[in-house]
Amino acid sequence: MNIERRRFQRGLLAGLALAALHSTFTPAHAQTGSDLVAAAQKEGKLVIYGVTDNEQANHLIREFRTMYPAISVEYSNMSTTELYNRFISETAAGSSADVTWSSSMDLQIKLVNDGYAQPHKSAETAKLPEWANWKNEAFGTTYEPIGFVYNKRLIPANDVPQTHADFIKLLNTQTEKFKGKVNTYDPEKSGVGFMLVTQDKQVNAAGFTDLQKALGAVQVKVQASTGTMMERIASGENLIGYNLNAAYALTRAQKDPSIGIVLPKDYTLVLSRVMFIAKKAKNPNAAKLWLDFVLSKKGQEIIASKADLYAIRPDVEGDTTASGLKKQLGDALRPVAINTGLLTYLDQAKRLDFLKQWNSTVKGK
Amino acid sequence: MTDKTILAVDNLALAYGDNPILKGVSMHLNRGEVVSLLGPSGSGKTTLLRAVAGLEQPHAGSVIIAGRAIYDAAANIDIPAEKRDLGLVFQSYALWPHKTVFDNVAYPLVLRKVAKNEIVQRVHAALKNLGLDHLAERYPHQLSGGQQQRVSIARALVYNPPVILLDEPLSNLDAKMREEARAWLRNLIVELQLSALVVTHDQSEAMAMSDRILLLNGGVIEQQGTPTEMYAQPQTFFVADFMGSNNIMKGRIGDIKGGEARIDLDNGLSVWGLRRTNAAIGHEATAVIRVEQLHLADGPGHNRAEVDLATSMFLGDRYEYVFHAGGDLLRAWGKRHEAAGKRWLELPPDALWIF
Amino acid sequence: MLQTLPRRAVVALLALSVFFPIGLVLYQSILSGPFFMPASLSLESYAFIFDDPDFWLAGKNTLAVAFGMGAIAIPLGAVLAFIMVRTDLPGRRWLETPIMIPVFVSPVVLGFGYVVALGPVGFFSVWFQEIFGSVPWNIYSLTSIIIIAGLTHVPHVYLYSSSALRNLGSDVEEAARLSGASPFRVARDVSIPMVSPALLYVGVLVFFLGFEIFGLPLILGDPEGHLVLTTYLYKLTNKLGTPSYHLMAAVATCIIAVTFPLVLLQRVLLKSAQRFVAMKGKSARQRPLMLGPWKWLALALILAWLFVTVIVPVAGIALRSVVSSWGQGIHLLDVLTLDHFRAVFEEDTMIRSIINSILIGTLGGALAVGGYLAIGLATHRQNDGITRFVDYVILTPRAVPGLMAGLAVFWVFLFVPFLSPARSTLFSVWFAYTIVWLAYGMRLIQSALMQVGPELEEAGRLVGASRARVSRDITVPLIRNGLLGAWLLVFMIFEREYSTGVYLLSPGTEVIGAQIVSLWASGAVDVVAALSLINMALVGIGLAIALRFGVKLHD
Repeated sequence: MNIERRRFQRGLLAGLALAALHSTFTPAHAQTGSDLVAAAQKEGKLVIYGVTDNEQANHLIREFRTMYPAISVEYSNMSTTELYNRFISETAAGSSADVTWSSSMDLQIKLVNDGYAQPHKSAETAKLPEWANWKNEAFGTTYEPIGFVYNKRLIPANDVPQTHADFIKLLNTQTEKFKGKVNTYDPEKSGVGFMLVTQDKQVNAAGFTDLQKALGAVQVKVQASTGTMMERIASGENLIGYNLNAAYALTRAQKDPSIGIVLPKDYTLVLSRVMFIAKKAKNPNAAKLWLDFVLSKKGQEIIASKADLYAIRPDVEGDTTASGLKKQLGDALRPVAINTGLLTYLDQAKRLDFLKQWNSTVKGK
Repeated sequence: MTDKTILAVDNLALAYGDNPILKGVSMHLNRGEVVSLLGPSGSGKTTLLRAVAGLEQPHAGSVIIAGRAIYDAAANIDIPAEKRDLGLVFQSYALWPHKTVFDNVAYPLVLRKVAKNEIVQRVHAALKNLGLDHLAERYPHQLSGGQQQRVSIARALVYNPPVILLDEPLSNLDAKMREEARAWLRNLIVELQLSALVVTHDQSEAMAMSDRILLLNGGVIEQQGTPTEMYAQPQTFFVADFMGSNNIMKGRIGDIKGGEARIDLDNGLSVWGLRRTNAAIGHEATAVIRVEQLHLADGPGHNRAEVDLATSMFLGDRYEYVFHAGGDLLRAWGKRHEAAGKRWLELPPDALWIF
Repeated sequence: MLQTLPRRAVVALLALSVFFPIGLVLYQSILSGPFFMPASLSLESYAFIFDDPDFWLAGKNTLAVAFGMGAIAIPLGAVLAFIMVRTDLPGRRWLETPIMIPVFVSPVVLGFGYVVALGPVGFFSVWFQEIFGSVPWNIYSLTSIIIIAGLTHVPHVYLYSSSALRNLGSDVEEAARLSGASPFRVARDVSIPMVSPALLYVGVLVFFLGFEIFGLPLILGDPEGHLVLTTYLYKLTNKLGTPSYHLMAAVATCIIAVTFPLVLLQRVLLKSAQRFVAMKGKSARQRPLMLGPWKWLALALILAWLFVTVIVPVAGIALRSVVSSWGQGIHLLDVLTLDHFRAVFEEDTMIRSIINSILIGTLGGALAVGGYLAIGLATHRQNDGITRFVDYVILTPRAVPGLMAGLAVFWVFLFVPFLSPARSTLFSVWFAYTIVWLAYGMRLIQSALMQVGPELEEAGRLVGASRARVSRDITVPLIRNGLLGAWLLVFMIFEREYSTGVYLLSPGTEVIGAQIVSLWASGAVDVVAALSLINMALVGIGLAIALRFGVKLHD
C-alpha cells in the first residue's frame, strides 16, 4: 500500500517534472540555465564514480571547474565491478555518488533498470543518437571502437588482418608463430570483455565458432585489462590482441611506435561509456550540470581531443569522433545499443552457460 | 598476638591451580624484630613473602599489618600491593634502569605526593644513611652489586614502611662480600630499629641475621624458634638436617630409656642418643650428629667406636677427617692433621639425635 | 598493567573490532544476496562454489602452492639459518639485513618485478635468450609461482629456525664434526633435527601463508589462468556479471575454515617449541663451525638466492619505471624516460596515495603500536581468563585473508552510523591495517614487554604505584626501544600491505599498495612501475632508519 503510493507519487512527480520541462522548452538554455546553475552552485559539490583513468577524466573535470568554480568535483576511479559494488552498498547505507560513469554498459543498465537512476532531459541529451539514450536515464557519452592491436615490429604489414575473417585466417595459417602470443580479455574476469564477446556472438553468429576455435588453437592468453594486454603486445610477449579498446590503444600508440591498431572493416563493435545520475544523489543539480557538460559540444570536444576517447555527438568533428569513424568505416560500425538487451547475460544461468561454452572451445577445459 | 606484633599471618593458604604452595601458614613478627623465612627451594618461603607483599594471590587466611587487615579471605579484604605500604628489597634489587639512583629512591615519595624539597631532603638522608650520597646522579648500571643493593634498600626504607621485606638479600653478592654484607645489614636493621622479614635459603645467613627463624617445608612451618633453638634443638629430622653439617646414619632402635634410646646402625656401630621419635624397639630410625660434635678419642668408652680414618682434608681454619664406618662415610673436624689408620671416635650422646 | 575498568574497555573494544567484521563475513556467507539488501538465509552460496569446478581447481592449486612453498622454503630457510648462525661464513654480519628484505617487499611489487624481469620477453629473459638461444623457464606457470613463493618465504623460516639454533650448544655439533661429519652432514644430521619443533612451527606458518597468498598469483597466475583461492575470491565478483558478496564471503569462510585451525595449531606448537628450548636451558658459549672451503659454496648459494629473490625483480621494476617500452628488439637506451614519474607526480590521486602511504606508515604505525601497547598492557602479567581470551582474539584476524578483511571493514564503516563519516578517511584504512596485522604487532609488543623483569614492576607496586602508574612510569619507559623498533617494523609492514586497502580505496584513502592492485587491474603498467619503485623506496627508508637505530629485524 505504502509502496504503491510512493510509486504513484514518484510517477506523478516525474510526470510533473516532464510537463514542466516541456512547457518551458527553450533549447540549450532551459537546463543549463541560471536556475540549474544556481541550484548546482548552492550544492557546491559533485561526487563521481568512474572507471575512466584519472588522467583522462581530469581534462573534463578541469574544464568543468573553470566553468563552475563554485562546484568542487570529487572523482573516484575504480574498476567496473568495484563501482557497482560500492554504489549499491553505499546506496543501501544512505547515499553514494551523484553520478556514475562506467564502460561496463550492462552493469550500468542493470543499475538503471533496478531503479537507481533519476531521469534528466535537456538540450544536450537530445543531441544523442537514439540508441545511446535509454529512457532519459542512462546516456552513452563516448564512441569507442573495438579492434585488433598488434606489434608493428613483429607482424609484417602484409600479415596484418583487416577483417575478422582475416584474423581467423591468420591464426589458422600461422598457428605455430602465434601459439601463446595472442591475447584478449578474460570474459571471466572482465565484465567489458564478456560483453564484447557476447556482442561478437550476436553480430557475427556465423563466424563466432570459427573465431573461438582459432583462439583456442593458438592457446590465447587472457587478461583482465586492456593495459596488461597492450603491455604484453608492446613488449613482444604477445603479438596481437583481440577486442582491445582502440581509444586506449591510440593513446599508447602515440607514445609507443610499436603499437598498431586495426578497426576491422567487416564490423567494428563500438562501446559507449554509460553515465547516469543517481536517484539518491545528494547533489542532483550539480549532477545534471555535469551530465549536460559532458554531452555538450565543449565536453565532447575534450573527450575527442584531450581525453583520448571518442566523441559520440554527431555534430562533433574529427578523427576520434563518431562522425570521423563513420567516414572511415561506414556501415561496419556496430555500436552496442544502450537498452535492456544488455541484461540478457546478467542472467546467472545464461552467463555461466556462455562461459562454460567459451572455456570448452577456447581454453580446452 | 600482642600490641608488639607488627605483622601477623594467620593460616594463609595459596595454590597455583591444583598445586598447593602454602598449606595454612601462621606466623607473626614483632616490632623491631628480624624473622627469617628459611627453607629449601619449593618450600614456599618466597611465596609467603610475596603473598604478604600482595604480589601473590592466596585463597584463605589473613594478613594483618600494624593492626590493619591487608588480606582476609573470610572478610573479602584484599588490599592491592601498592596500598599495603610495605618495603620490599628484591633479590635482583629491581632498580629501574631508566631512573637515576636519586629518582629510584625518590619515586615512592613522588607517588605519595611529598613536597619537592622534602623529597630531596629525605632521599639524601636515606642515601646518606646507606653511604650512597655521592652516587645520587648515577644510573643503576654504573653501580657495583653491593651499591645496587644499598640503593634498593634505601628505596624500600625511604617512606618508612612499618615492615621491610627482604627477598634473598645476599644471594646476588659473591661469597666473600656476602659475609661482610650480612654483618652490615644486621647492624643497619638493629640501628634503624626495623621490623624485617627476610627470605633466605642459607641457614647460616638466617642464624646470623635474625632474632627468630621460621623453617618452611612443603608449604608448612616445620619449626620456629631462635637461631640457637633451631640449631641445637631440632624437633624433626628435616630441621636437624637442614640447619647444619651432619653425619647421618640409618639403623634400628635397639633399646629405649626414657628420653634416650640406643640405635643399632647399619654400619655396625651401636650408639646412644636423644630420642626424637616414637618408633618402637626394632623399628627403623635415623641417627644425626653434627660434624663438629664428633671428635677423636684416645681409647674405648661410652658411645665410642673404632673406625678407619681414610684421609684428612685441610680447610684453612681446620681439618676435616673422613672415616669409613661400614658403608657410611663419617666426617669430623679437628685442629691437626692426622695420619690415616684406625682411630677411636666419640659420638657424644647429648649431641646425637635419633629420629 | 591497567586498572580494571580501562582494561575491560580495551579488551571489549578489541573483541568488537575483531569479531564484528569477521562475524559480518560469516553472516554474509549464509545469505542469498548482499546483507544490506533483502536477502534470505540460505546455503546457496556454498552450493554454488562447491558446484563450481574453478573453486576446486583453485583449492587444488592453493594446496599445491602451500605445500610446494613449504617444500622449498623450509629446507632452504633451515640451511640458511644454520649457515648464518652456526658457521664462520664470510660476511655474515653484512648479510643479516639483505636476507630479510623479501619479507618487506610487497608481493604485488615482487610479482610485477618478475614479469618485467623474467617474463617471456623480460629484461633478463631477453639477455638470456641472446646468450643461450632460448629461455628455459615460464614465469606464468604454477611451478614458477610455487618456486617464487617458496624463495620469498625463506626469510620466515630463517627467522624462526635461527633463533632456535642460537639456543643450541655448539658442543653437539663439534662432537659430530669430530666423528667425521662434514658441515653439511652436521647441519642435516644434528643441528636441524634438534630444532625440529621450531621447524614444525614454521612449517605450519608457511603452509598457512601459502593459503592466503594473493599478490603473486594475482599477477603471475593471470595470463595462464592459474587461480588460487584468494584470486578466485577476487575474480568471483565478475564471474556472475553482477557482484556477488555472498559468494565471496562463502569462499572467505572456506579459507578461514582451514586457516583458523592452523592458527590455533601454531599456538600449540609455539608453546611446545618454547618448552623444548627452555628444557635445554642456557647453552654453552657458541663457537662457529669452521666451513673451510665449503664457505665459498655456501656464500655463492646465498648470493644466488638473493639475486633471484631480490635483485632480479627489483632491478626489473627499476628498469621498467624508466623506459616507455620494452621487449624484443628494443634498445633500452632509446626509450629511457622519466615520464612515468612525471605522470605520478602530476596526478593528485597518486600524490595523495604517496602521502597517505607515508602517513599510514608513520602516524598510523605509531597509533597502531599505541593500540597494540594498550592491549599488551591490559594482559601484561595477568594470567587470567581475560588474558587467555585476548590471546585468541589476537590470533583470529590472522586467519582472514587481507582482501576480505578490508571488505568487511568497508562494510563496518558503511553501516555503523557513527563510523560512516570516517569511511572515506584514512582512519578506515588504518583500522583495517591495524586489525589485519594485530597478531604481528602484538608479537612485537609482547616480546618487548617480556624483556621487562617482573620484579621491576613489582617493585613499583610495592613502593605504592597503582598498575596504571607502574605502566606509565616503569613498564612503558623501559620498553621505549622496543616500541621504537615495533613502530619501524609496523611502518614497513604497512607500506608493504596491498590487499587490505583494495576495497577501501576511495578519494582520501588511497595508499600505494592498493593503488597498485587497482592500477594493475586497469592496466596502467607505467604508473604501476613508478609507484612500485616509490613504494620500495619508502620501505627502504624505513629499513635504513631501523638499522640506524639498531632495530633487530627478527627476535
